[in-house]
Amino acid sequence: MTFVARTWNRLTIPGRVLLGLFLLGGLLTGALIALIIFSEPILELLGANLPLVRFVGAATVVLLMTIPTAFLIIYMEMKIIALMNLRLGPDRVGPFGSLLSVVHGLKVLMKEDFTPTGADAPVFTLAPVVTYLASVMTLLVIPFAPGLFGQDMNIALLYFFAISGLGVVGLLMGGWSSFNKYSLLGGLRSAAQVISYEVPLVLSVVGLLILAGTMSLNQLVLNQAGWFTDWYIWQQPLGFLIFFIAATAEANRTPFDLTEADSEIVAGFATEYSGMRFGFFFFAEYVNVFIVSALTVTLFFGGWNAPFPFPEIALAFDPGSLGIALLILVAVVPVVGTLILAMPFYLLRSSMPFWQALVIGFVLFNIVAVAAVLGWAFVSLEWVAGLLWFMLKTYTFVFIFVWMRGTLPRVRIDQLMGFAWKWLLPASLLNLFVTAGAVVLVRELGA
Amino acid sequence: MTATSSRPSADDPRITLDQELGIFEPVPPYPPRTEREAEFYTLGDGQMFINMGPQHPSTHGVLRLVLKLEGEQVVDLDPVVGYLHRGVEKLCENADYHHTISQVDPLEYISALFNEWAPVMAYEKLLDVEVPRRAEYIRVLSAELNRIASHALFMGWMALDLGGLTPILWSFIERDEIVEMLGALTGQRMLFNYFRIGGVNGDLNHDFMSRLGDWMTRATDQIEANLTLLNTNEIFVRRMRGLGTIDGQTALQMCWTGPNLRATGLPFDIRRAHPFSVYQELDFDIPTRIEGDCLARYLLRLDEIKQSLRIIDQCLHRMPDGPIMAKLPRLIRPRPGRAYAAVESPRGQYAAYAISDGTDQPFRLRIHDPSFIHLQSVGQLVQGQLIADTMAVMASLDPVMGGVDK
Repeated sequence: MTFVARTWNRLTIPGRVLLGLFLLGGLLTGALIALIIFSEPILELLGANLPLVRFVGAATVVLLMTIPTAFLIIYMEMKIIALMNLRLGPDRVGPFGSLLSVVHGLKVLMKEDFTPTGADAPVFTLAPVVTYLASVMTLLVIPFAPGLFGQDMNIALLYFFAISGLGVVGLLMGGWSSFNKYSLLGGLRSAAQVISYEVPLVLSVVGLLILAGTMSLNQLVLNQAGWFTDWYIWQQPLGFLIFFIAATAEANRTPFDLTEADSEIVAGFATEYSGMRFGFFFFAEYVNVFIVSALTVTLFFGGWNAPFPFPEIALAFDPGSLGIALLILVAVVPVVGTLILAMPFYLLRSSMPFWQALVIGFVLFNIVAVAAVLGWAFVSLEWVAGLLWFMLKTYTFVFIFVWMRGTLPRVRIDQLMGFAWKWLLPASLLNLFVTAGAVVLVRELGA
Repeated sequence: MTATSSRPSADDPRITLDQELGIFEPVPPYPPRTEREAEFYTLGDGQMFINMGPQHPSTHGVLRLVLKLEGEQVVDLDPVVGYLHRGVEKLCENADYHHTISQVDPLEYISALFNEWAPVMAYEKLLDVEVPRRAEYIRVLSAELNRIASHALFMGWMALDLGGLTPILWSFIERDEIVEMLGALTGQRMLFNYFRIGGVNGDLNHDFMSRLGDWMTRATDQIEANLTLLNTNEIFVRRMRGLGTIDGQTALQMCWTGPNLRATGLPFDIRRAHPFSVYQELDFDIPTRIEGDCLARYLLRLDEIKQSLRIIDQCLHRMPDGPIMAKLPRLIRPRPGRAYAAVESPRGQYAAYAISDGTDQPFRLRIHDPSFIHLQSVGQLVQGQLIADTMAVMASLDPVMGGVDK
């Protein structure tokens, strides 16, 4: 062991990197060889359990997806609220400060993971996990694009509400086990709030379910294909309003962010949390914003459907038909493109040295190439176009959530509960009865 | 409570303290000194204490509020002050008269010019000095600017305590502009040390006047526009209306002054009731409101900003020429005696009571601070309200802990 340690210490830094890369390459090669040798039984095993494989794959992808999503939304919130406040916002790490939330993520990882004396340690540790998993698991049923979803359940909507309701258990656990009165107040507030708003939230989509006749989110999106007038928002405007307000309360966002009202109860249920345990709560909140926006889009705004039927552009050009010429193109086009794009800068600006022009040309060529590849994918791959439309709509709603946070003050707890039970619940019942009556009437008249 | 872990942590209080482990109750460690204390620190059925502060996101400095809660409802409240006590009055007794001006500066640090004004006026009464008229106009001009800065900050804090993030930064635009302006005039942005016994430290300069001219052309519109975000916001108005209501009689009994008193309908303003400086020559209204709730206190300050702008306008038009300092010896030894002077600060009656024993140091300088007076009514105002309202009521009274704790 001492020999290994001594050898390692004698290496220079590039030497250590090279050695690491060498070992990694060896491992990967070995794994590849093993895969090739045992490919047949592995493929057989996977093929026999395809639904399970698909589920595990989807769960992994969804779990990994939450982190960049949370980073992006946290950055959006910091930057957009800063601009609304006439501040600059983050501008140090990365271009326009866009890597700041990554640094935040690293920061929470490195902070001390502290359990206060007197806290109920197992429950205290488990609470963020429950909250985070609840939001991750709801992502499984959201259809991001045609063919791009975790699981197409026939009761997807029911599953969604059931699992998202689990999140409050985590908040309550955190509030109860922290051994802190602010946490306790925050936890109880969140329980009262989420349970109250669950009722109008679920009732507001029942009207839509009567219209659609299905609970599968995938089928709901397919029902809304065509022009944007086919979206359910036009048939269920009141349902959408109730759903959006109740969803804001479900996601604990301003003006309903009473569970972590910083001017009243410090940080609510998260007062005693630090380090990555707090990070899980933090991530879960922003993932919840994404999920709520995604569900709003799926239910009322046509999901991944384009707002109008896109004209079919058939690409006559198939790159595969070029054969060996494709290889030559791949080798030649970047060089020629960089030179062509660099030329104007070099020729028109006498003070610019050639290498600077080349760098500009290279960057421009990359932008053009990425745009071309994306354009090709958008036209010829259905799921790319669908994903693009879905994300565009979803992030519009994320922006609205951030906008509300920057604008509105917080409501009081009695106003919050009164609003849910006195206004939203009757309104959602009215929406339900009117929709049901209209459906029956249309069916009677049609028959 | 007996969470035993195999690896003892340095943060475990059992290692350093040999007291029984338990949740920290804010009950004082000594036997109750008064009947009120004995009654407050006895918990009823289903009640609990909660400690707000001295480290809390929204207690306006280092105020500690002990809340007696029943669920979310505040049964009783006990403000505990003294965390920012610096012994300013005692320091003043050991400083010469000129030094005391800089000692009292950081009391109400949001509106420091008024802190200087009251003792300076008291000393002038002791000395029987006549302040040059130009100096008086400059004092009124700068003090009214400071009042606008203070009120602008109040509006932002009010919104922040109700959970709005943006208004505080929007109101800081105006405050920052004024503070920069006063910085150009006095040399400092916050603790000005500008007023002198018998005048002011420096004359109006070009930097100040050009900034003021720029700002005055757009001030009214800009302040109105900045506050549309709040004044017509349904959530904001609903939370503030009818909250912390107090009638004029009770407010008088609790010794309220300033905007908080005027929000109950009593037009009491030192600038009119006991005119000082050149306020008698200036034309301005005393805005009042009759509701006496948080919304009235908030809107009243908006009206006061407009009146202050009127006063500044008149000051600029009537500013006479002349000296800015009275002729005084460098070492001041007033005759033995006592003098009282009060000014209308953005928070109410700010007064100084100076006793001279004939030496060059004041024998005693007593500062009367309105924030302290207003703070003692918080308990009455929030009884039966919710936790969230405690912060709203606190913010609407606009206390500055520097002045409360002295």
